[in-house]
Amino acid sequence: MPRPASPSSSPSTTLSRPRRSSRSVAASAPVSAKTKVNNSPASEESESPWTQISSALRDELGEGVFDRWFSTSRLAALDSKSLTLAVPNSIYQVWIESNYAAQVQAALLSVLGSKRKLNFVVDGSASSSRATAEPVATANEPEADEVRPDAHGLNPRYVFDSFVVGTNSEFAHAASLAVAKSPSRTYNPLFIHGGVGLGKTHLLHAIGHHIARSKRGAKVAYVRSETFTNDFIQAIQTNSLVKFRKRYRQADVLLIDDIQFLAGKERSQEEFFHTFNSLFEGRKQIVLSSDQPPSEIAQLEQRLVSRFEWGLTAELQPPDMETRLAILRKKADGLKVTLPDHVFDYLAHRIKSNVRRLEGALLRVASFASLSGRPLSDESVEHLLRDILQEEARRTVNIDQVQRKVAEHYDVRLADMTSKRRPANIAFPRQVAMFISRRLTKCSLQDIGEAFGGKDHGTVIHACKTVQNRMDKEESLRQVVKFLEASLQR
Amino acid sequence: MKFTISQEAFADGLTNAVSAVNPRSTLPILSNVLLQASGDTLTLTATDLDFTVRTTVLAKTGKQGSTTLPAKRLSTLVKDLPKTEIDVEVDAKSAATLRSGAGVYKIFGLPEAEFPGLPAFDGAVEFKLKSSDLKDALRKTHYAISLDETRYVLNGIFFSFKGDKLTLVATDGRRLALAEVNDLEIPKSQEREFIVRTKAIQELMRALKDDGDVVVRLAQNMVQFDCGPTTLISKLVEGNYPNYVQVIPTKVNERVTVEREALLNAVRRVSLLNTEKTASVRLSFGKGNLDISCNTPEVGEAREALAVPYKGKEISIAFNPEFLMAPLRYLSEDEVHIELIDDISPGVMKINAPFVYVLMPMRVGGA
Repeated sequence: MPRPASPSSSPSTTLSRPRRSSRSVAASAPVSAKTKVNNSPASEESESPWTQISSALRDELGEGVFDRWFSTSRLAALDSKSLTLAVPNSIYQVWIESNYAAQVQAALLSVLGSKRKLNFVVDGSASSSRATAEPVATANEPEADEVRPDAHGLNPRYVFDSFVVGTNSEFAHAASLAVAKSPSRTYNPLFIHGGVGLGKTHLLHAIGHHIARSKRGAKVAYVRSETFTNDFIQAIQTNSLVKFRKRYRQADVLLIDDIQFLAGKERSQEEFFHTFNSLFEGRKQIVLSSDQPPSEIAQLEQRLVSRFEWGLTAELQPPDMETRLAILRKKADGLKVTLPDHVFDYLAHRIKSNVRRLEGALLRVASFASLSGRPLSDESVEHLLRDILQEEARRTVNIDQVQRKVAEHYDVRLADMTSKRRPANIAFPRQVAMFISRRLTKCSLQDIGEAFGGKDHGTVIHACKTVQNRMDKEESLRQVVKFLEASLQR
Repeated sequence: MKFTISQEAFADGLTNAVSAVNPRSTLPILSNVLLQASGDTLTLTATDLDFTVRTTVLAKTGKQGSTTLPAKRLSTLVKDLPKTEIDVEVDAKSAATLRSGAGVYKIFGLPEAEFPGLPAFDGAVEFKLKSSDLKDALRKTHYAISLDETRYVLNGIFFSFKGDKLTLVATDGRRLALAEVNDLEIPKSQEREFIVRTKAIQELMRALKDDGDVVVRLAQNMVQFDCGPTTLISKLVEGNYPNYVQVIPTKVNERVTVEREALLNAVRRVSLLNTEKTASVRLSFGKGNLDISCNTPEVGEAREALAVPYKGKEISIAFNPEFLMAPLRYLSEDEVHIELIDDISPGVMKINAPFVYVLMPMRVGGA
């Protein structure tokens, strides 16, 4: 299949950027009833070409430059030959003319289809009105913060600031941030996957918030794939597919959560396939989340899988000890509760699989502490959390599982794990299995030796040392061991 | 009128004064220089109405008086005379006779009365500062003045006497240089901002001496720089200087200190492999190292490495070599601090003194 130009290439190579007149945007207003951020239709009509030019410029120039030089500019006049920008003072004209004339023309070419002569008017009121407008804006801000996210269906608490980044989530977080900062320029589509309660939805919402806040008038559409399916079914029932398509295909950013629920729903998949293509060709950002990597979602059409893998796939892994501690402390700060350090340690130590569960446990402990007023001991916490801990305990690893996993990974027979044969291709996996058993199970050296076909404890010690030494030297082995441990603990 | 003067003093004074004469002037009197002899000084004045130079040299006056003589011709002649005393005598018809050794030269002039009067600076706002400070600040900024005449407000240096300091700013839209002279005493009521034309700046830099004070007087639309023997009067550039503060990045990510001379030499050598049209050099900052390189198709490529204490993230940024070298040439400090944001944001150069140079990167390769 021929690959179209990559999304980050210059706009002149864009295949079909929709050239919308202000009229058609106004007509689409009912579509954005839910996602609408703009105020009066009049201002929207005159602003919309500029909004489009702005977003093209922002892509062209990057956030920093755009904010500095164009965010305070207004479109004063636009006709078939020229474009007049109202700028706060003359330095804008000087600097834009000298440095960004080519980029402005490129943006005009992509949005309007042709170049324009660039004129400037220094709008004294722009700077002063900005100065006076600012206090008003800040006065409104808290309200806007509360209301706007609801309009997009985003949880206001899920922002980048409240996301705790650890090595487990570093990559997914960085990718999300990059996407939020320059949508449809970096990674499109972005596919975030990871287990339950690791922060997929959080990142998705955070991207939505960031874009909605930094790009005025950007249409952010956040849906769970189930909602997408339901909407689609309803659209078929009420014969309003056109409306349905407009709603999804005119979004500037489409965030789809839990895409795995599309599995097995063939018509929905087909509809989504077309939505995906039309957004992608229009250089709109698409972000997807799922509990599995695209290729592992059963009953998902191959053409969707390949499209999902097209952009960037980022995995969220269970947090490590330090990250869990950081999450707990951040959460406790948010809840305005103070707990003794040993409780944090205890929770972080015992609950490993899932952030949501971790937060639930914290909440339970915190409310118990504040209701009972008694100091917390590890015993009382254990009693309090016994059901959660039991659930966690099911994840403890035994030697048998380790042997299976390692044998499977190295493609040796399970029987080789316990045999006395010692060719290198068997002996080394066996040593790795001993090493992992030593790290993940509570078994003694003797027990481990026993389980590996009656070896004595010295053999196990030697195995651990060998593997450790080789891990210190070999990157690939480190990764293998890490991978095996992670998959055992999942 | 009659005076005796050494050839050197006369030639110096004339060179200074002639700079104000506009060779294309339509008024004949404006091609002339006004000579006024009195006591032991000779005062030379030349003007094109917008810009005036008045300079005083030592001379022995035989008979005091004044006249005007063709500036260009007189100055060329005097420069060519042998280094001895020159006797000058002017008759009632404004004809001057110069005697130098065995030579006798007679030049016809115009009466002094036709020469335009100088603008008065009575009761003008006055600022006094050290001559060397102003000269230094001008050196640090003048190269960034715009030569584009369609943007006439940028054809000069912006002077801001405000908040007990003088701020000088020059920009051409792609770079901006700012220097300050601190510790002045400026009462609130006397704070002034104005733009001085390029021509006046050039002459001012020549006229300013390394010691002593300079007095700046500001009237209506004129500024006067009184630098001891030489006084310059210039019309100001009308209009408002753009609000340059917007240009200076407020937040930078990386900062590194570089030896000025070493950087200048490396950039100069590397840029020798540039052709005029595509002139750019690339600075690639990596850990402890700065690579300066350029690559010109069909000409060749150059690379020089400079050890620098750089610890930040890798940044590779292209600049116009002339624009990059200009401040390096005119600064005198051993080290400059370079501050960067990323590959496409402006670079900033600073020194351990109030000076800022903002330089826009070049977008190479259509990025």
